[in-house]
Amino acid sequence: MTDTPTPAPEADVQDFADMSAALTGFLSSVLKPQLDPVGLARTYYEFALSQVGAQMSTLLTAYRAIKTQPPQTIADTLLETSSATPSAQALLCQSIVAMWYLGAWYIPGNQGGFGFPPTPLQVISSEAYTNGLVWKVMQSHPMGFSPFTFGYWSQVPGPLSSFGVNTGNGGGQ
Amino acid sequence: MSANTPQYDVVIIGGGVSGNTLAWQLGLAGKKVLILEAGVAVPDSREEYMENFYLALAKTPEAPYPAIAGRKSVKDQTNPKQQDIVQPNPANLATPRATVLGLGGKPDVSYLVQAQGNGTTNPPTDAKGNVRGLQFSSTYERIGGGTSWHWLGTSLRELENDIQMKTKYGVFHDWPVTYTEMQQLWAMAEKAIGVAASTEQQEPLEVVGLKYPPGYQYPMGPIPMSIVDQTVSTGVAGMQVPGMLDDDNSHMYDVFVTPTPQGRNSEPYQERRVCAGNTNCIPICPIQAKWDPTVTLGEALDTGNVTISYQSVAVNIAVEGKSVTRIDYLVWSRDANGKLTSVKKSVTGKLYVLAAHAIENAKLLLMSNNKKGICNSSDQVGRNLMDHVLYLAWALISENDDPIWGYRGPLATSGIESLRDGEFRKHRSSFRMEIGNEGWNFAVGDPYTSTMDFIQGTNVTQLNPTNERLGGLALVQKLNSLLTRQFRIGVMFDQAPLEENRVTLDPTYTDGLGLPRPHIEYGLDPYTMEGFRVAKDVCTKVFQRMGATEFTTTGVGGTGDFTYKGVNYHYYGAGHVMGTHRMGNNPKTSVVDASQRSHDVPNLWIVGSGSFPTVATANPTLTLMALAFKTAKSILSSLGS
Repeated sequence: MTDTPTPAPEADVQDFADMSAALTGFLSSVLKPQLDPVGLARTYYEFALSQVGAQMSTLLTAYRAIKTQPPQTIADTLLETSSATPSAQALLCQSIVAMWYLGAWYIPGNQGGFGFPPTPLQVISSEAYTNGLVWKVMQSHPMGFSPFTFGYWSQVPGPLSSFGVNTGNGGGQ
Repeated sequence: MSANTPQYDVVIIGGGVSGNTLAWQLGLAGKKVLILEAGVAVPDSREEYMENFYLALAKTPEAPYPAIAGRKSVKDQTNPKQQDIVQPNPANLATPRATVLGLGGKPDVSYLVQAQGNGTTNPPTDAKGNVRGLQFSSTYERIGGGTSWHWLGTSLRELENDIQMKTKYGVFHDWPVTYTEMQQLWAMAEKAIGVAASTEQQEPLEVVGLKYPPGYQYPMGPIPMSIVDQTVSTGVAGMQVPGMLDDDNSHMYDVFVTPTPQGRNSEPYQERRVCAGNTNCIPICPIQAKWDPTVTLGEALDTGNVTISYQSVAVNIAVEGKSVTRIDYLVWSRDANGKLTSVKKSVTGKLYVLAAHAIENAKLLLMSNNKKGICNSSDQVGRNLMDHVLYLAWALISENDDPIWGYRGPLATSGIESLRDGEFRKHRSSFRMEIGNEGWNFAVGDPYTSTMDFIQGTNVTQLNPTNERLGGLALVQKLNSLLTRQFRIGVMFDQAPLEENRVTLDPTYTDGLGLPRPHIEYGLDPYTMEGFRVAKDVCTKVFQRMGATEFTTTGVGGTGDFTYKGVNYHYYGAGHVMGTHRMGNNPKTSVVDASQRSHDVPNLWIVGSGSFPTVATANPTLTLMALAFKTAKSILSSLGS
């Protein structure tokens, strides 16, 4: 373990959360709620910072320049989804999306191989696992962490919007 | 107490389903019982195991369990990193065991010493039509409570013909018990576990010989069918398939879905909660709504007559004449520096039980008496190693239909049981078809793999053939559309007992206590493989009938890959390890009798699914627990109760 780092400025954490909302398709208020006992946005920001250092502030600067754009535009721009050869910064954005979706850190650009997906470096924390967004994407719950009650599986789930997805136009800030 | 007075009425080796059930029943009858459990103690709270699970890089069946003995649980490590996925060398562990992550590996990662795939070709077929040199792919735990920490909960009864294959179909062996007696024993196990089911819902299975005594009711009402179940059930309505391929006159069999009797609570039972559908029965139920053997261990300890000694590995069953005289065991620990140490001890009982797991039972029997072996005049110890080898098929429901909504509810709540019996059993293995509620989690490691495919533009799942890279709402919508349409069928076969599929003592490799490790020889025969061929055909027809698109893939040269009649298949382990000390009435061809008592050494009972003469078509836990109730009666009778 390294020495306890200086906490990142709150404004940076907020921008990271807002950028993450655009990248993931979720509402920023879901990623960083007003009352936030888990504090995943800060955890993730500081974790990414510890992995990639200055590259993170360059990314935030790039985000700030386009933050007023619609969320999908921000996502496509930063992830360079129409480019055949995404830059190192876009690969970092991929790892940020994966972190929010799966609760784990995937080394940017590591694609696995031999027919297998990449193995993450680390599951960030148990809260990271139980707050993974992919489970909400499929209108479900993390395997091993069900907030639902007996028999729910025989009924159709609530709509995507009830799982925190930003299904509207704009918004998400 | 004189030196010759046994210390206990009964000494039991192994604190899993069978051992704990026996300890409970014997303790209730006032008998003094010691359980020697090789692994670590049952934790005070399962939170510790849950934390291991949450933080595991691969959510394999073994992921929550610290029985990689000597390895700290993830929680206790200051900085868990990727090395967690690297398997520790079994040579350094006190109680190593087979793990999914170790499968197909060399002996420095795989506890079971066995063949490895060559990565390029499948093993050839020999003169008998058998494929040899395959990998036994089921795994187990060596911890307090045993492997059934991560059983699925499926509590099907065997069919009448399952236990009389020789009489009915002229193949394999009959079980030395009657169906009528088994019905009584299953009822006892269903009560002990708390099985949720409705006999009325099971009635259609009379066509394959499932029978209950009149008026029988399960301890609690059934678990609701998932939307996946409902969708498959509607999809196969009216479907029939032939018993044999290549036979135009083959009898046609009805295909229909029935809810599965399950060892999870539909109402509060044994002071445990109702199921909340965590979709995590394997590897661990977070709320113990699913029964596991620690429940029964608690009941055993509550009798006041049962003691359990953890980290106590039996190393020798001492036999003089035709009697066990003592058990030698090693009590192991790790010092502050992680160094493994052990102290040798011995214990005596009036009677003895070996309940350590099918592979570990065989290992200890073969190890005893200075590796000359005991209880083995039949030469059947370690032979007939079987599994419900498993074929997996997966598909996507059409975009024109409603989503099927996987990843919700218990891992499996229904199955197609209607193809488990028929005249075809003279010629090929029968099977049950389990409908999964976890999308393609088992099949491709989803939702992780699809997520990474669409983030990175890869196509491991085959769902991203144009290598799209997505973000934002586009990523949400794509993944939502795919993940909510995934489903799979797992087919489990009545694998043939083969003498050459066997456990022996590896001459080279040892564990951290210096004990020999299991050496495995394994393969598949045409009877079993023809079952695969039919099952593959049935699965494809089910998908076609449902308008679903199949994505099942097979590889070549890897663990579980084989070729039959020119087609490549892949099998998985079901975790159902059976057959290594089979029961029968003839001491020349079996190891234990109908009470699981050793033919050769009558004060020793050798219990568990290792006693199964055939693997039959039901998941084994209910039946092996039922047999433990029969064994309890036999032991109490021998003690003069």
